[in-house]
Amino acid sequence: MKTFLISLLLACIPAVRAEILVIGHVKNDIDSLTAKQVQDIYLGRSRVLPNGKFALPIDQPSPLRAEFYEKLTGRPVEQINAYWARIMFTGQASPPQQLPSDEVVMRTVRENEGAIGYVNKASADKTVRVLLQLD
Amino acid sequence: MKFCINFVIAASLALAGAAAHADEERSMLSLKGFGSLGTSGTDNDSLRFRRDIKQGRGVGSGWGIDTDSRLGLQVDAEFNNAWHATVQWVARNTTGDFVEQNLDWAFLRWRPLDDLDIRAGRMGFDVFMLSEYRDVGYAYPWIRPPHEFYGGLPVYHFDGMDIAKKFALGEGQLTVKVFGGHSFNQVPIGLSEQSDQRYTLAGIKLAYEQGNWNARIGYNYALNNLELSPLHPLLDALNDPALSAVWPDASGLAAKISAKDKAVHFTSVGLAYDDGLWLAQAEGSYIHSELNVYRSVASGYLSLGRRVGKLTLYTLLGISETLNDRSSVSSPLAPVPALLELRNAADLTLNTGGVDEKSISLGLRWDVTENIDLKTQWSHYWLGNNGSALWLRPASGAAADTVNVWSVGMDFIF
Repeated sequence: MKTFLISLLLACIPAVRAEILVIGHVKNDIDSLTAKQVQDIYLGRSRVLPNGKFALPIDQPSPLRAEFYEKLTGRPVEQINAYWARIMFTGQASPPQQLPSDEVVMRTVRENEGAIGYVNKASADKTVRVLLQLD
Repeated sequence: MKFCINFVIAASLALAGAAAHADEERSMLSLKGFGSLGTSGTDNDSLRFRRDIKQGRGVGSGWGIDTDSRLGLQVDAEFNNAWHATVQWVARNTTGDFVEQNLDWAFLRWRPLDDLDIRAGRMGFDVFMLSEYRDVGYAYPWIRPPHEFYGGLPVYHFDGMDIAKKFALGEGQLTVKVFGGHSFNQVPIGLSEQSDQRYTLAGIKLAYEQGNWNARIGYNYALNNLELSPLHPLLDALNDPALSAVWPDASGLAAKISAKDKAVHFTSVGLAYDDGLWLAQAEGSYIHSELNVYRSVASGYLSLGRRVGKLTLYTLLGISETLNDRSSVSSPLAPVPALLELRNAADLTLNTGGVDEKSISLGLRWDVTENIDLKTQWSHYWLGNNGSALWLRPASGAAADTVNVWSVGMDFIF
């Protein structure tokens, strides 16, 4: 009965979109990043982290990818893709590498000091450092 | 120097190929692409519409698919944080060698500092805002780049070097780029012939990007190295020493018509705004030409668009006008029919390549998925007397002064 009530209660709350965490390596000495800093890294405008290390941003497949860019830039993912089409097909830079899941992103961030990724809040743990929360 | 650049182009191609067999675990190699499938048609067959003057076939009222359809493939090889190679080849309706003329990018990039890029090889000709990615329909809202502005530009790429440095300035980023090299182009002459062109190019651009704004200003210089082949018979006839007694001006006229060793100067400014809902873009250029067969021209366009969900509704106004006055051509002293014919040929050569074009367009882009869009566009063109040089014209007969062009297309990236 109690479980039933809780489920009922949850069902009444309007669908809350998952919070997304931007994560980095635990040893990277960066407390946090601003949304603008994360934007600059993910849009290829900045190639280094504030600590001077070479940044390795990691993307994920949509729908998480679409949600991430919408929250980070306020623009739909089609506009982000059109932006990257211009940048990469004029030989300036390549978009972030795409990895298949939260789990793989977590593992890659644990293994690379320059890595920056984003995952669902529920997938993050103490093995990585949270740099920014997007909600 | 030319040998060195050819060597770098060959090396870029070889490295990209070699990387294809290398260790994929390090994901140093990627294959990407873009394309468009489009069809367009007009309501007037006295002229044929083409995307730009590099195309020797156009469309009329019978519609056709090869004005805008294209497929581009790009291989990127990332060797480490400092070294990178890119090769891009685009299948498209073009004039000349289908393999060589369609190779737009094949370069090696060295990034000694985070904000400094040095590239050598074959690269896109960065003269206006869209000129490096004219083929990537997915990257812009229109069915094709504004006709008055980009239709007169046959040069897609050059072989040489460029250096780009980025600076933080205010809230935004300033990019300064200088480049130089050579460009070999095969362009259509009339409806059936083609001619080789080779230019020595150099240029500088300043681009500023801040938030929703993009601005650029650029200057490019192009020196024409070769005589245009269709001019040879006329120049030979005018330079005939036997002519000097009956037409003293003939050799002076030949010098005027000759295109070799004459320069073209491109000056341009551009401004673009995009806040996610509203978009606006405008560019203006003045192309000063020392060639009397390709005259100075001023062009501009203004586009406004509004996004509603996955739809973008836009309008586009364009204008391009030849500025020089008509060249006067002296008459031979003796009114011999053969000489008068030669004089008329010289007059036609000097005075029929003008651009006098204005247009208004309305269009719609629909982002169907994350990497596919559908577009449709209607354009109405006004063409002045001796003003249709961007179109393909029949050898004789009057050309229309207004034409409608309808287009439907799909763009994709992968």
